[in-house]
Amino acid sequence: MLLLSIDWSFIIEKLILISVILGASLGVATYATWGERKVAAWMQDRKGPSRAGPFGLLQPIADGIKLFFKEEIIPNDANRFLFILGPSLAMLTACMASAVVPWGPSIELESGRVIALQVADINIGILYVFGVVSVGVYGIMLGGWASNNKYSLMGSVRAASQAISYELAMGISLIALLMMTGTLSLAEIVNQQHGFWENGWFTWNVAKQPLGFIIFLVCAFAELNRAPFDLPEAESELVAGYHTEYSSMKLGFYLFAEYVNLFISSAILITLFFGGYNFPFMDQVAGSVSPVVFSIICVLVLLTKTIMMILFFMFIRWTIPRFRYDQLMNLGWKSLIPLALVNMLITGAIIIWVLN
Amino acid sequence: MNPHQLVFWILSVIAIGGALGVILSRNPVASVLFLIVTFFAVSGHYILLNAQFLAIVNIIVYAGAIMVLFLYVIMLMNLNGDVEPQKSKLLQFAGIISGGILFLVLLAAFKTTQLSTTPINASTSIGLISELGQVLFTRFVFPFEISSILFLSAMVGAVVIGKKD
Amino acid sequence: MILIITASIIGVVLLFASFLLKHTSSLLHLVTVLFAALFGVAIWEALQPTAILTQSFYLDAIRVDRFTNQFNVLITGCLFLYILLMKKHIAAVGKYKAEYFALIAFIMVGIFMLSSFNSLLVMFLGIEIVSIPQYILAGSDKENLKSTEASLKYFLMGAFSTGFLLMGITLLYGATGNFMVSEFNFLQATSINPIALGGVLLLIVAFGFKVSAAPMHLWTPDVYDGTPTPFTAFMATIVKVAAFVGFMRLFQTSFTAISSSWSLVLAVVIALTLFVGNITAVFQQSVKRMLAYSSIAQAGFMLFAIISLNAIGRQGMLVYTVAYSVASICFFAILIKMKDYTYDGFNGLAKKQPFIAALATIYMLSLAGIPLTGGFMAKYYMLKAVLFEGSYMWLAIFALLMAAVSVYYYFKVIIAMYFKEGEAAMIDSFTKEEKLYLTIGALALLVVGIFPSLLTGTI
Repeated sequence: MLLLSIDWSFIIEKLILISVILGASLGVATYATWGERKVAAWMQDRKGPSRAGPFGLLQPIADGIKLFFKEEIIPNDANRFLFILGPSLAMLTACMASAVVPWGPSIELESGRVIALQVADINIGILYVFGVVSVGVYGIMLGGWASNNKYSLMGSVRAASQAISYELAMGISLIALLMMTGTLSLAEIVNQQHGFWENGWFTWNVAKQPLGFIIFLVCAFAELNRAPFDLPEAESELVAGYHTEYSSMKLGFYLFAEYVNLFISSAILITLFFGGYNFPFMDQVAGSVSPVVFSIICVLVLLTKTIMMILFFMFIRWTIPRFRYDQLMNLGWKSLIPLALVNMLITGAIIIWVLN
Repeated sequence: MNPHQLVFWILSVIAIGGALGVILSRNPVASVLFLIVTFFAVSGHYILLNAQFLAIVNIIVYAGAIMVLFLYVIMLMNLNGDVEPQKSKLLQFAGIISGGILFLVLLAAFKTTQLSTTPINASTSIGLISELGQVLFTRFVFPFEISSILFLSAMVGAVVIGKKD
Repeated sequence: MILIITASIIGVVLLFASFLLKHTSSLLHLVTVLFAALFGVAIWEALQPTAILTQSFYLDAIRVDRFTNQFNVLITGCLFLYILLMKKHIAAVGKYKAEYFALIAFIMVGIFMLSSFNSLLVMFLGIEIVSIPQYILAGSDKENLKSTEASLKYFLMGAFSTGFLLMGITLLYGATGNFMVSEFNFLQATSINPIALGGVLLLIVAFGFKVSAAPMHLWTPDVYDGTPTPFTAFMATIVKVAAFVGFMRLFQTSFTAISSSWSLVLAVVIALTLFVGNITAVFQQSVKRMLAYSSIAQAGFMLFAIISLNAIGRQGMLVYTVAYSVASICFFAILIKMKDYTYDGFNGLAKKQPFIAALATIYMLSLAGIPLTGGFMAKYYMLKAVLFEGSYMWLAIFALLMAAVSVYYYFKVIIAMYFKEGEAAMIDSFTKEEKLYLTIGALALLVVGIFPSLLTGTI
């Protein structure tokens, strides 16, 4: 199947993979909204959504339908083009980051064809995620500004400064990790964390970079605009922050993008620090089942870990109160960045003097 | 025309169109957005050259950080198309003439140059991050290290200028 | 080479000093010691037996030759004089005393890079390291709107010229595939690459901006006027001379063979610079502004070193470094004590402070280029260099004419001091040390004026 010197079967394979991943992330995000409400209810000792379907399982679908059919309002003084561009960008960038996550080991078919469960194993891997995340803030900024509303503007300005401040610490903490892995490719990073225990130490990066992981995690909270760093939409001060003026599915896009982001960043956190799809005794399992089944097990392991991570994000949200803006900036610039630098320094020293 | 060339032409059109949009649009926010589009197109060109690292850093640093700050300032100052000061016709005319002359000179220079058609003999991995690191820490180690002085002084400057007395 | 490292370390040490040293006086002592050490290192490096050879460092990224060493000694000497005279005033500009000195140390790193680069990348970084701290120093007086304006103007124009510089470097790289200035392959005039010529043109524009040559000079008066005076004294002298040395180094090593393609452009620039600088300086009321225009006028003379492309021009550059920097720095040191920066502010200074007035007269005579002073010798070398080259007779004659014009506004200061009645009001009096340093400056000018071979003999 060669036409225009393009391998079409390759493209079809990737298209299917992309569709599956997109569908899965949208599905997980949908049920993450349900999960969030259930977790909140559980922590606050109430029942949460329970009417639509068993355990309220149909609630997200009902919400989606509601958002679709609501009246769409664009404020008179809003910049129409940017007003629509904002949520679209938010959704687009949220979905884009999933392209480099390795969802499972490659499957080798009997025909010799290798199907990678990763859309693109690009050389710069994790930097691609950074690029997408750094562009993601435009969705919030443009939407907030185009609404022509003070609260929205405040929210978007906060989002921008927060994202930029925490990207630095995130990047530096990641550099320490990359110094140990020696590669940027996520597939390679996952392969290095094969299994669970090797040479008398854990293979997962969280055991090699504990401080880096904590910094990265805190920064991930900030980048996601999740509580305790949800200042861009602090409802007690800014009504609803950047999406005050939004209604209908455009609002839905913003809310939804947040959960897609949550899912993807949890997956990336797992990939970087918790071994991705690796699990203890995976070699024994691989030996006893067919490759396809093994791949499916791996994907399920990754999903389980990711969902646990999402749950952790939710627990934090309902545990810790929101930061004040100056506290946020102080934490970012005066604690996390120096800490990340120290971590990088220590890592470098260890690599030079201990590991060599 | 192979796909490579096709992508090249599309990206070039986007890049030049975006750059023109930056200077022609009256609304500063639109200018910034056009500039971001241009950066993306330029990053696309980098990828065509297999300079993946440069491409993504261009997006992270320029599109993702510097332009966000630009937008930040423009939004906070509430600059709109009508706030922009109108330059006098004479000044605009002078600008067009001098810019046009420079353009002509450079165009003529490019037109008359015999560009060598033999491609530069470089490995395809030259733009990848490992190669880049090798070069930065060997051939260009002095410029690379000394640029830290530049950044240090810029940081000191930011504190000196920005901090409240 | 060690000089670059020393200057960087001094900058960092000063940054630490800013929160470790609480007293201004101890900071000033430290500053004196550190910059004296820098001067010492420069001399030490120049006295090495290898100093007369051309040495290359870091895979040929920088190349230190005899001229570099001599220039480094002279410029650090000027810097040391500047620090001695101005340190109290620098510390009085604002709150961030140690940071200002640190920025000056960083600027010195850039200056040493400009005097020794062999790669266009190093040259670019050098220019940026010189420029960025200057933007900050220009805006250091935050209470003063004029200072802020100067900083912003300088920054915007500087960023614009950096664009030209980068574009020029890009075109040169595109044409030659090389960053090393010593091996540009268009050195042969037979195979000139038009793209490279475009690059050279853009480089002339960019450097012309940095040295405030005429059509690119428009930022100079406002920036020099608005900047706090101690920093104006630095920017207008040491930094400017360093930019010239970078300019000269690039054009003499790389573009000599194709000089016929660019020297006419530069000649027109020089004529314009001399004309604009001198004629506008005549009409100024403020002495500080007059000095800003005079620095443009002096830039016209210094550009002769670049157009002439010979050893005499290089010697002239060294003489000019001392003559122009020392005279300007010392005169700024006097100006900074005056209450009134206009000519009238100098009225009757000779009666009140005869010694200071006499010294000021020497500086002014030197800037005007009167024989027996360093300024004369500097101008003499420059004219000799361009006449030696032969093709720019008209330019030399025009320069002489303009030098005559410059006598008018420099003498206006002397006339105000000696022949006008008035109360020249000072902010505070000169201490004994300051008088000593000013005298050393004046003596240096006279020595250079009488024995210029002390500076040039070895090249």
